[in-house]
Amino acid sequence: MIKTRTWIIIIAVIAAVAAAAAIAVRFFLPAGTTAEIVKDGKVLYRIDLDRVTEEYKIEIGDEDGDRNTVTVRPGMIAVTAADCPDKICVAAGWASGERPYPIVCMPHRLTVRITSGDAGADAEAR
Amino acid sequence: MDTYMSVRTYGTDAGDQVKAEAARLETLFSVTDKDSEISALNRDGEVKASADTLKLVGESLRISRATGGALDVTVYPAVRAWGFTTGENRVPSKEELAKITEKIGYEGVRIEKGTIRIPKGAGVDLGAVAKGYLSDRAAAILKENGVSSALIDLGGNIGALGSRPDGSPWRIAVRDPAGDGSVGTVEASDLFVVTSGGYERYFNDASGRRIWHIIDPATASPADSGLLSATVVGKSGTTADGLSTAVFVMGEERAVGLWRETRDFEMILVTSGGEIVITDGLKDAFTREEDSGYTLRIVS
Amino acid sequence: MSGRKSAGNAAKRIVKDALFAAIALVIFVVEAQIPPLVPIPGVKLGLANIVTVWVLMRVGAKDAFGVMLTRVVIGGIFSGRIVFSLAGGLFSFLAVLILKRFITDRQIFVAGVVGAIFHNAGQLAAAVVIYRSPSVLVYAPVLVLSAVATGLLTGLTAQFLAQRLRVPGE
Repeated sequence: MIKTRTWIIIIAVIAAVAAAAAIAVRFFLPAGTTAEIVKDGKVLYRIDLDRVTEEYKIEIGDEDGDRNTVTVRPGMIAVTAADCPDKICVAAGWASGERPYPIVCMPHRLTVRITSGDAGADAEAR
Repeated sequence: MDTYMSVRTYGTDAGDQVKAEAARLETLFSVTDKDSEISALNRDGEVKASADTLKLVGESLRISRATGGALDVTVYPAVRAWGFTTGENRVPSKEELAKITEKIGYEGVRIEKGTIRIPKGAGVDLGAVAKGYLSDRAAAILKENGVSSALIDLGGNIGALGSRPDGSPWRIAVRDPAGDGSVGTVEASDLFVVTSGGYERYFNDASGRRIWHIIDPATASPADSGLLSATVVGKSGTTADGLSTAVFVMGEERAVGLWRETRDFEMILVTSGGEIVITDGLKDAFTREEDSGYTLRIVS
Repeated sequence: MSGRKSAGNAAKRIVKDALFAAIALVIFVVEAQIPPLVPIPGVKLGLANIVTVWVLMRVGAKDAFGVMLTRVVIGGIFSGRIVFSLAGGLFSFLAVLILKRFITDRQIFVAGVVGAIFHNAGQLAAAVVIYRSPSVLVYAPVLVLSAVATGLLTGLTAQFLAQRLRVPGE
């Protein structure tokens, strides 16, 4: 049998590694200033947050009636309204170059993430 | 009107109004909604229509006349015959197609004192122009709400109102009909950019040939003009939408001929020969995508 | 004679398991009322797992599986998107089942931690697949940390209960 003390050490090590990984992730996140709004796996918008001069909103809807409102401010972006049940995406707050954590609205399959890519096009005609 | 709709607005909730307008127009134009004005027209041969329907049908006829019938909203019986409305794709026989060609003809559509009439056996589908019309309405609603900068995206029909927040023109990528990326980007302010392409909806027949949903009214069969996609850039969403379908049917030569006559729109054509052909009004606004594998040719 | 007795036992077992499932559900629903601690999908206390771990250690694997499944399915009616809870529940159930051989009654808290880690891992894996966005993996380290914390809490509670409570009719 494994000693209780051994288990405690194992758990402590796991926690330490996870903590280190969390910090590493922060450093290695592709922290650029380009925000991408992804719906159903498709990039809908790429926004160069550095070039935004005034606040604006983007409404994202689909045929199921799902609604999310994304607000863009100079240097940051957030999901400010959603009609999904848990609204975790709204509670996630503002993503930016300094805080590049992705904002996810799971029920609506929407992700707002920060990348270092080129801003590129605002929309695609197809 | 399919897929998603996203409207970028500044400081107002005009986005809601646009959605409401989309729903309203759907009840007028939809061929799948039995209670719509178009459905009534197809069922009874005539309908006392509301202002929007009259306007859109009138505009479609104007584009039909200008393009020698390349755009023809009465092409619906053919669309049905190939199974694009039901999803049960099939290849109609030559005899069937000959009969259907007789039913097609925008010249048979009459508008008199608020009533639209079509000949017996004819069918109207505004699918080629409805999204363009909605984008015009959306731009109008946004302007009424004091919005001076917005990007309207209706399932790929783009309306660029004003410029981007930083003053630069909106950047609109043009989809590569043969792949996942784009063929290039066009910069636009206060313009509409609409693409028509066979790659959007198609099926493969028994011999593996691709059959797409854009029908040539003259043959009642999928348009076969050497183009993979046609993008029109213009000042009106309705016209850009209608013209993109017409140009796809017409092919490069006829389309360039039309462009030279009026020069009130610009186009980007992707040919089956691997070329991107642009009209010279776009020469500074269009940037070819480096890795797309197409060669660029400018016509003047 | 033995047929009657085993039928009686089977019925008792179903009743007991239903009771456990009900308790797990109540805890789950009550916990769901608490606003999310952190705006990261999947970080929750996972208090309902106290019941699952306790049943697994004290009663049996089959019973625990049934309790977990019931709680996930019915709980899904309240919170939607059963897939995530199911993925998490399955991963953690299997992990703890294997772990059972290696821990004693005084080490049940380890099952809490392991169960929580694998529960979050399952949810995260499901999220990557369903949302086709590997971005969510960014949250992995944070989820492991929170799993260790909440797992200790639920594991220690389960251990405490395992040492004090007796199953009726044991």
